[in-house]
Amino acid sequence: MIMGNAKNPDSRREQIYNEVIRILSSDLEVPADEIERDMDLNTELPFDSLQLYEFVIDLEEAYSIKLPDEMLDQMKTIDDIVNLIMRLTEGK
Amino acid sequence: MKSEEEIMSEALVRIFENVVLTEEKSLQAGYFSDLSIAEMHTLTAIGPYESRTMTKTAEDLGITTGTLTVAIDRLVKKGYVIRQRDTNDKRVVRISLTRNGKLACRMNSKFHRVLAKHILSGYNEEDRKHLLALVNEVDVYVAQQLRRYDGAVNVRKTAMEVAKDSKKENE
Repeated sequence: MIMGNAKNPDSRREQIYNEVIRILSSDLEVPADEIERDMDLNTELPFDSLQLYEFVIDLEEAYSIKLPDEMLDQMKTIDDIVNLIMRLTEGK
Repeated sequence: MKSEEEIMSEALVRIFENVVLTEEKSLQAGYFSDLSIAEMHTLTAIGPYESRTMTKTAEDLGITTGTLTVAIDRLVKKGYVIRQRDTNDKRVVRISLTRNGKLACRMNSKFHRVLAKHILSGYNEEDRKHLLALVNEVDVYVAQQLRRYDGAVNVRKTAMEVAKDSKKENE
């Protein structure tokens, strides 16, 4: 499990962001430097439903969190996902 | 002209059959064509998160642990389920989903959510609330009828009791 436990919130956010990009890049087979934090998950990234869930399951396993569909519906950008992981792993 | 009861009963049966058929066709056409509907429902009963016991899962599916064991054997072979002994109590068998099992389970939930979303999208907020309340009442009523058969050794006797009750309601 990845703790994302740097004390400074900015460095913790950066750590999580880098890991999210690494997982996303591997699941989508897209170079990491082509992914930007404000990209729209639904329109700007080449996801099909299966890849989306591969990404979600990898995040759940990496951070030992649960990301049910009701939560995913609120996520629009990569930054939203980073913020959600920050919140769910707070104090872990 | 058809009676209200006929329209309602035909629609109920049709909805049930068509949802199952659509689900089956979407499975056959999709990434998990090696899974049957029953197997997909077994994966859904196990769920994508914590491992579960065989006993509790069988109970939720309304089947015996013997029947579930056969289904789990197949799902383990196909690479969708992991079976392990409980670390605290070796007599207890726990089952959980592999990554592929989790993917299948979540894709199937999405199928149901998309179907529900499309049905609800045709209504305004007030009508949606009303529709959901009515559907919930039907759901509760049918579940109540099902519970009457739980543990009923003599199914024919229970069926006769249900028929008597329906007769009373109509009087």
